[in-house]
Amino acid sequence: MNGQTSHQQPKDGRHDDDTALTEFLASLMDYTPTIPDELVEHYLAKSGFQCPDTRLTRLVAVATQKFIADVATDALQQCKARPAVIKDKRDKQQKEKRLILTMEDLSKALREYGVNVKHQEYFADTPTAGLDPASRDE
Amino acid sequence: MSDGGEAEGTRDEQNGSNLRSGDGDYSRAISRVAMAQICEGVGFEGFNESALDSLVDIAIRYVCELGKTTRFYANSAGRTGCNIFDVVQGLEDLGKPLGFTGASEVHTDCVVSSGAIREIKEYVDMADEVPFAQPVPQFPVIRERRMIPSFLQMGETPAFKHVPQWLPAFPDAHTYVRTPVWNERLSDPRTDKIELARQHRKAERSLLNLQQRLVCNGSSVATTSAEPCNGGNGSGVNNNGNLSLEKPLEAEDIGVSRVSIPPKLSSQAQTEKQVSLLETFAPAIEAMKDGLDSGSDGEKTFPEKRDSVFLELKGGKKVFGEPLDLKIRKAVGRTSSWFGHEGEKDDKKRRVEFILRQSLENQQELPQL
Repeated sequence: MNGQTSHQQPKDGRHDDDTALTEFLASLMDYTPTIPDELVEHYLAKSGFQCPDTRLTRLVAVATQKFIADVATDALQQCKARPAVIKDKRDKQQKEKRLILTMEDLSKALREYGVNVKHQEYFADTPTAGLDPASRDE
Repeated sequence: MSDGGEAEGTRDEQNGSNLRSGDGDYSRAISRVAMAQICEGVGFEGFNESALDSLVDIAIRYVCELGKTTRFYANSAGRTGCNIFDVVQGLEDLGKPLGFTGASEVHTDCVVSSGAIREIKEYVDMADEVPFAQPVPQFPVIRERRMIPSFLQMGETPAFKHVPQWLPAFPDAHTYVRTPVWNERLSDPRTDKIELARQHRKAERSLLNLQQRLVCNGSSVATTSAEPCNGGNGSGVNNNGNLSLEKPLEAEDIGVSRVSIPPKLSSQAQTEKQVSLLETFAPAIEAMKDGLDSGSDGEKTFPEKRDSVFLELKGGKKVFGEPLDLKIRKAVGRTSSWFGHEGEKDDKKRRVEFILRQSLENQQELPQL
């Protein structure tokens, strides 16, 4: 493992931590992330990350995947929470709505993560168009 | 996943996404697929193009940011190579806005107990494994560059003293100096001349054969031999009332002595311009044939020839149905003019060629009638 010798701690605790870490990384290798390793390696190399160990690459890939999954889940909640009901006459079913990732839901979800992706309104058809969404919701 | 209904204009989004592609189209395309797969795993059934592009941007930025932070922590510790602790610290940094359990504690000795790692662990345990849809090759692909060999490698010594041997060699002289190229061929003037003469004779012979065949095909005389022009008799001349071609007469029928005619008619022969097809060719064909075959003894074969009969054709209008108007003198004159030149084959051939040329010109006018 890398960087194990820098600290002087009781060896027993360290040993447990080491084994835990090793186990964790081993479990990480079992899991194949959706984001391919080559892509992650490419972007990490661009930003200066230098490590020949593929486990770290996998760790970064999994972390990114988790992050995106969280964002997507929040956006899904937003999509489901919207009260709009589309009555499909052909199917004769109510509340049948296709879950589509829209910019609106995404921006709402990302705001919690500190990412501001406010999309500009195309045309102002309501008095509240273009205003801050927080005030608009109220 | 399917592309859902567009809430925003697609054209603007696509133009915007084109401008945003600073990372490279290939990696972005792969990211798009990966993000779409993640969304599908979360539960979405469709997406907007713009939304997916934003998500891709965010994911790429997350990876880059994580890499940057990791590198920063490694450099802070005096290293250039990153390790697991740097990564975990970077993760904690990125997770701080949202917060994770144990953020207030610093875990530098046991990484696994860190909140960020714990979350990742939970995610790994919980989430379904969705591998990437397609195999991705290693990129970016570094192309092997072929270097110009140095002087040492080429085995050459540079022409100038100030040029060291380890520098790339100069290009070959033929790449920048234009040298004329000659066709190296041994030319023997004598063989060339002989070859030329042979080809001339060959051409003339084939041309005469062609004309002869035309003559023979056109004639309606009873003779059907291979050389109808040679056969036949003088009485056949008057039979061709409708044809344009005349049968050549026997020398005896005409009763012309070859010896007496030459001086008088040779001059006339030169002035004759309009000749018919048959009459011109018969003597020429014979002369050429015999001349070619036998070689130099043209005079011996002449008695076997018949003097051709000429039609005097009026200017501009060729009348073929005039078998009665026979003018013998021209053909005889021409034939006899050949008799005088024994050893001058070239002269004879020149005249034959002249005749042929004339007849060819007239032949072109024949179809008009």
